[in-house]
Amino acid sequence: MSDVILEIEGYSGAFRGRESGEMEPVLFDVSYRLKPKAITAVVGETGSGKSLMALSVLGLQPPTFRRTAGSIRFKGEEILGLDDRALRRIRGRRISMVFQDARAALNPVFTVGDQLADTDRLHSGRSRHAAMAKAIEALRRVQIPEPERRARQYPHEYSGGMAQRAMIAMAALICEPELLIMDEPTTGLDVTTQAEIMELIVDLAKSRGLTVCLITHDLGVVAETCDEVIVMNKGRVVETGATEQIFTAPAHAYTRRLLAASQLGEEGA
Amino acid sequence: MRHYPADYPIIQVRNLRKLFPVRGGRKLHAIDGVDFDLQPGKTLALVGESGSGKSTVARCITRLVEPTSGDIIVHGSSILELTALEMSRTYRLVQMVFQDPNASLNPRMTVRGILEEPLKLHLNLTRAERDERLRELIEIIGLTVAHLDRYPNELSGGQRQRIGIARAVAISPEVVLLDEPTASLDVSVRGQILELLKRLQQEFNLAYLFISHDLQVVKHMSDEVAVMYLGKIVERGPTEEVFSHPKHPYTRALMSAAPVARWGGRRERTKLAGEIGTPIDPRPACRLVGRCPIERPECGESPMPLRDIGGGHQVACPFHQSIQQ
Repeated sequence: MSDVILEIEGYSGAFRGRESGEMEPVLFDVSYRLKPKAITAVVGETGSGKSLMALSVLGLQPPTFRRTAGSIRFKGEEILGLDDRALRRIRGRRISMVFQDARAALNPVFTVGDQLADTDRLHSGRSRHAAMAKAIEALRRVQIPEPERRARQYPHEYSGGMAQRAMIAMAALICEPELLIMDEPTTGLDVTTQAEIMELIVDLAKSRGLTVCLITHDLGVVAETCDEVIVMNKGRVVETGATEQIFTAPAHAYTRRLLAASQLGEEGA
Repeated sequence: MRHYPADYPIIQVRNLRKLFPVRGGRKLHAIDGVDFDLQPGKTLALVGESGSGKSTVARCITRLVEPTSGDIIVHGSSILELTALEMSRTYRLVQMVFQDPNASLNPRMTVRGILEEPLKLHLNLTRAERDERLRELIEIIGLTVAHLDRYPNELSGGQRQRIGIARAVAISPEVVLLDEPTASLDVSVRGQILELLKRLQQEFNLAYLFISHDLQVVKHMSDEVAVMYLGKIVERGPTEEVFSHPKHPYTRALMSAAPVARWGGRRERTKLAGEIGTPIDPRPACRLVGRCPIERPECGESPMPLRDIGGGHQVACPFHQSIQQ
């Protein structure tokens, strides 16, 4: 399985209705593959199931969600149905995740440096001192200025862009995973900040041979940074392909509509 | 429909400043000397990133926030000294659409109740006339009479924003302030809302102040654009001109950072150093000092006023020609 790092096959699932108790299907026979060392985008609008599918990979789906069919294989090994202990060995150190709101994802009562160092100690068993040195190095690598001082600060002292850099430092550099899943990592950030964060992600992916799965609604970001694209709509995968192909020769009507809407009728401009 | 001479300004904003007090007697300069006019039937876009002060401008015009100094002139007279009662006449002319329709529509009122409120407050209509107006409104925005009896939570995000727009145009204002009207919507819905806004503008000769961080939307919607950074307008002019020939280093950085949803759409980026500066007691100097790629020593010595460079294009940077085009 050298050409595929993650393979989702025939994944279907439903939410249990809050009052009715009836099952409401939300994912339908979802299948996609992630190529190693590539940046793959999963794009779609609200309700497409793009985030839910990715959360399911790490067993982080909401408790009212039930899988009804399908499998998820990581490097050829089935990871659905693994117990918590086995999942913990994968979460973070082999597959890690970055969420949209980095300041909410960081713990407000510990310094950023402590959180990075603790995570490192959990994975590596390094000494406290060595772990903090690694944390500071990771902050430096994601271009946080004065990383020694910044490491002693709390999340609320970070701007949104800065906090997302710190999360990326944790998920990509401290955990050193093989696969990094990013759920709308730049949504809510200003465009100049977004551009810098995306540049950083591409740089880390290329320099470390990291596989990245980027979940986003922003086709602009996809066009500029991703190698492969998976388009989802209403719980289904409607099209997959190389980025160039998706943008220059979209096959599915939904992809074409989404592209036209994203370009606001300016494709020739 | 009202007809005005082409250059008749409905709203004139003059040297508007809003300083918020912060701890230690310091002042946060949210808006620091902003001027512009709104013309009937035209759209002026205020574009900028978070902290630029663009939303505070709209809040000052509606006096949801009281400006610190400067003037806001509607139809030739200042509105800043008006009492709350007198302001209601201004609201007859100036209405606002908010970013988040979930937060700006009362969840306990039906669509009918939401849309009736401005009619009752501002227009003297009989019950029958009001019902007629409601029917008209709901159809103008592309929904049906059946939607009048629904609650906001029974509507999609796009439908809710349509209601927010209907509420704003219900009493036939002359100006609508649009504060990020599509920022919370999916792209497919975004296009529909923008088309609706364009149609309403043509039909009713509305002036729009369009506040957005989304450059693509701004380019699509506006006649003129003003780019704000830390409370100041750094560049403005006809939209076509500013987008095809951005001059100010901040405008160039902003435009080159906005991703384009097209294969091969990537552009050469103008990069700024570091992060946005502080709006608290800023030095009387160019706000981009410390981040600018073409900074000179004199940039830190005095504020940089907007200067005409021809064709209605103004730039607050005397050294803009030194950037590689």
